[in-house]
Amino acid sequence: MSGTALLEVDSLCSGYGALQVLFDVSFRVDTGEVVALMGSNGAGKTTTLKTITGQLRVNSGTIIYDGADIGGTPAELLVRRGIALVPEGRGMLRDLTVAQNLELGAYVVKDPAKVAEGFDRAYEVFPILGERREQKAGTLSGGQQQMLAIARALMSGPRLLLVDEASLGLSPIMTETAFDFIATANRTAGVAVLIVEQNVLALDLAQRAYVLEKGQVVDVAEGKAVRAMQGRLREAYLGKSH
Amino acid sequence: MPLRRPEFEQAWERLSTWLRDPARAAITVGLAAALLAPAFPGVRSSTLNILAGVAAIAIAALGLDVLVGRTGQLSLAHAAFAGVGAFATIGVGGRGAPWPLALLAGVIATALVATIAGLPALRIRGLQVAIVTLALQLAAEKFVYPDDDLTGASLALDRPALLSSPKALYFFAIACVAGVLVLRRRLGVTRGGRALLAVRDIELRATAFGVEPAAAKLGAYTLSGAITGLAGAILAFKESPGAISDTSPFALLQSLLLVAIVVVGGAGSGAGIVLAALFLNGVPQIFTGFGRDAPLLSALLLVAAVVLQPAGVGGFLTAISQRLRRRAGERPDPRPRLVDLGAADASAAALRDVPRGLSLRMPAPALLEATDVSVRYGGVTALVDVSLEVRTGEIVGLIGANGAGKSTFFNAASGFAPTTGSIRYRNVELLEQPAARRTSFGLARTFQDMGLVRAETVRENVLLAQTWLAKYPAAAGLLALGATLSTERDLRRRADAALELFGLDHLAEERLGDLPYGTMRIVEIASAVAAGPDLLLLDEATAGLGPEESQALGDRFLALREELGLTLVVIEHHVPLIARVCDWCYCLESGALIADGRPNEVTADARVIESFLGRSAAATGGRKR
Amino acid sequence: MAELITGLSSGAAYALMAVGVVLVFRCTRALSIAQGEIGAFGFFLGLRWADRGIPLLGWHPPRFATLLIAVVVGGLIGFVVERLVMRPLVRRPPLDALIATLGIALFLALLELRLFGTATQFAPSAVGEWKIELFGATLVASRVIGIVLAAAVAGALYVFFTRTKFGLAVQATTGDPTVARLLGVPVNQVYRFAWVSAGMLSGVAAALLGPSFGGLTPFGQTEFALRALAGSVIGGLDSVSGAIIGSLIVGVVEAYGKAHAGPGVDSLLVLGLVLVTLLVRPKGLFGATAAA
Repeated sequence: MSGTALLEVDSLCSGYGALQVLFDVSFRVDTGEVVALMGSNGAGKTTTLKTITGQLRVNSGTIIYDGADIGGTPAELLVRRGIALVPEGRGMLRDLTVAQNLELGAYVVKDPAKVAEGFDRAYEVFPILGERREQKAGTLSGGQQQMLAIARALMSGPRLLLVDEASLGLSPIMTETAFDFIATANRTAGVAVLIVEQNVLALDLAQRAYVLEKGQVVDVAEGKAVRAMQGRLREAYLGKSH
Repeated sequence: MPLRRPEFEQAWERLSTWLRDPARAAITVGLAAALLAPAFPGVRSSTLNILAGVAAIAIAALGLDVLVGRTGQLSLAHAAFAGVGAFATIGVGGRGAPWPLALLAGVIATALVATIAGLPALRIRGLQVAIVTLALQLAAEKFVYPDDDLTGASLALDRPALLSSPKALYFFAIACVAGVLVLRRRLGVTRGGRALLAVRDIELRATAFGVEPAAAKLGAYTLSGAITGLAGAILAFKESPGAISDTSPFALLQSLLLVAIVVVGGAGSGAGIVLAALFLNGVPQIFTGFGRDAPLLSALLLVAAVVLQPAGVGGFLTAISQRLRRRAGERPDPRPRLVDLGAADASAAALRDVPRGLSLRMPAPALLEATDVSVRYGGVTALVDVSLEVRTGEIVGLIGANGAGKSTFFNAASGFAPTTGSIRYRNVELLEQPAARRTSFGLARTFQDMGLVRAETVRENVLLAQTWLAKYPAAAGLLALGATLSTERDLRRRADAALELFGLDHLAEERLGDLPYGTMRIVEIASAVAAGPDLLLLDEATAGLGPEESQALGDRFLALREELGLTLVVIEHHVPLIARVCDWCYCLESGALIADGRPNEVTADARVIESFLGRSAAATGGRKR
Repeated sequence: MAELITGLSSGAAYALMAVGVVLVFRCTRALSIAQGEIGAFGFFLGLRWADRGIPLLGWHPPRFATLLIAVVVGGLIGFVVERLVMRPLVRRPPLDALIATLGIALFLALLELRLFGTATQFAPSAVGEWKIELFGATLVASRVIGIVLAAAVAGALYVFFTRTKFGLAVQATTGDPTVARLLGVPVNQVYRFAWVSAGMLSGVAAALLGPSFGGLTPFGQTEFALRALAGSVIGGLDSVSGAIIGSLIVGVVEAYGKAHAGPGVDSLLVLGLVLVTLLVRPKGLFGATAAA
């Protein structure tokens, strides 16, 4: 399966009104692979995701998904085309139950049998969600919420999963678990994943990785080279190079 | 003595620069037109009488806008307030008191009623305030208007000799409009008005600047009521001799019209509101050709104004002004200039000296000493028994993962969180002190998500941060009494010094919200410094800055210590910066302190690496791929 | 006891309109004070058509049809208002939306004055003139139907919110419109649904209950709508059942006030009730979020 480009971002420029944040950002995600987009605070990671999901305007450049330019397509239509987003801060509908959150994840799925299948798979992969299905999402712990956010995104049967800072606000141990879920989702559902992160642990999952700095891609690694990149980033963050 | 040519040219130059602001131009031209109006052919005394009424409506709308524009609260009871003003004027004047006294009675009575009406706003906000005022309006209509004793319908107000002709009344009303515009202008440039903006946009943080939100809000109601009472008094004199028999000018519909005038005119814009009053209230009365359709059109205009031009006529004027400035090529570079810190001595000197609310004698080596500090929100514990100290002249780093409790510690120290334990500052227990008072001790802070008013200019924000230094009473500020003018001049000098120190002086007149995020953060630090602290708490100062800018900010931290003798606590994710500038470093995890020491020791600590920096290479190595 | 029954029956009338207010608030976070006029406009149009015939067609609809016309026109106004006015305001501060609905109420009321005149329109009841006796209170047909309808609407909405997919979409939109959009929920349809159904409910309320309240006058609707608003504020602006219970409380308090303390005092009691509720419990009795 691997090898054909599912998402191809080319020379993307975008930002907030007059403030340009992204400068000629290019990267791609192939079918079935996990790609990490690394960067520190304010590097333009969330801006990238918001532009891909139609929440921000494309100033120039293209976003090709499955052979078609999706720049500017509103988010609610993207879900129907197989792109699901796990938003920053998890996007819980706190007053709804776990089951209702999952059901909403399958909002665009017409076939009830497929929805039921989705529920089964979600509860199988994340048993804790099955135990708490009638509980309000707002009462779950941060890690469980992250789990629910991922499971909910998978309910629409996406081909591409976009994950915005899964580690945000999670303890290190929960971060590790969250990354495990993403890996599981990738393995069991065969879904391609684009993880946007500042936590270098995300590189453990990635088959390819890009580093974003001040709105530009400054480093690319693929396969074995990802590990070396992890080392470089860790050093940069720890300040050993200074 | 004839004016010499250069002098004339100079004056003309100054006048034309002053007039380049369309709002000012509108007011100047409008005032000139208003004063000349009686001389225009075809203007009959009946027209002047109508225009005097329009002026009263404009004043009431300007009064309403003190609430809407400055505090963001909507009142649907302002027609009733105007009614109170008119009834009180008649009640006092009708019993034989001289007319200035009657007028004053109208103003004071309305100010009192409005202040009482403002009490619920201390507990509720937004839509709920609108509902409560709606209830007040209806209650007034039901219980006050039908009562002849309360409305003074049985009394007769004499028309004072001074206002006997329609022309005299007209000029009086115009003078009142001008007076109210001046008063609003004073509000904008003194502490009272700044406090209101802070309460409107950043209410929960306003105390960090020494603002008392409750007093500010009630003050806004008082002022709004006083102005609206003046409008009522003018209406009473307009109907004199005799009393007011028709209460429809004070009915709910009129309250709604006042709201419409403010919205169409643009909240906060005096010129826009006066124009809107003329257009929505005056034009239909003068040009009766529209007939019955006029109110219909104004209702439609109101809806269209809200949808299409959120800032109303005032917003339109501002847009023109901005376009003019852009055309003149006055668009400044939105980034802070790089300042040669050595050369900024003068600015630093201007900022150094401020009074303190406590003894400056240092009783202990620690400037700030926290012992067993815990913070609980409901069932969630955000901070558990944290003890740390900050010594005078240190730069202390506070690190830890998101949600570890770093900002919560700042909140505890600055009075924004329910805290147990003890935080002593210069050996004074901070937890016993109200938040606004801690500012006067010399504590200043920034917020992770910006605690400034985006809709205001950079300089206004720095002035806002200095509110606690403006010691004159807010009311004195409005009337430019006492030390107001000299204090404001000093504060402005301090503000400019702070802006210069951070290389922001060329951006002083820019709207804060128009600047890049990184620049906004620097403005916030500059504001905190302008407040004259000894201890500065900076929450994620470098978020949104690139590596070079972070580097430059680090230099500035060091300079703040050198030049101003500040002690700094910085929450920071950028480890190289911590390593470079910090003398000591604390690391939090899940609300508890897990490490402290010199930065290089802390960043080498296994638990710190685990919790904050990411796992060590050894731990990652065991992971299956 | 008689006051209780009369109070509950007028409370049911307020409830029908209050539910519309709550639907709009839940889905769009806008507080609409235009509901009274939206309903009344359709009702007046129905009366005019029953009286003079539908323009061009010349057909005089039967009395019962005034109800249908009020419902359809109310829904149509809701549709237009949502699309042209409220949708651009969704992301703006809630006061903007409040002021917009205020302008709409003003516009419709003035239009009513322009088209139908200032005379009180004494309308025959759309559902007949029969009445029943209950615990010493006399209830005319429209009030009985009003109570039944309010109960039916409450039940239907409960089922709708908890059992249907679109109900779930509404709940998601209430929770977080941005997240709902990301999940593929057609958020704009939810907004449209709220305004159209609120308009229709207002139409029902106006047509059914206008007559039994002694005829409708242009602007007179504001008073009626304010009672409904009071009910929804007391109950909690985002709770359908809260709005119904709040409206019933308003109706009962008003009936007792009228019977025992004289005219005028009833309004004061209702206003006091709103004030006390807001100060003691800003969210309302059953609300989850405070109107900010």
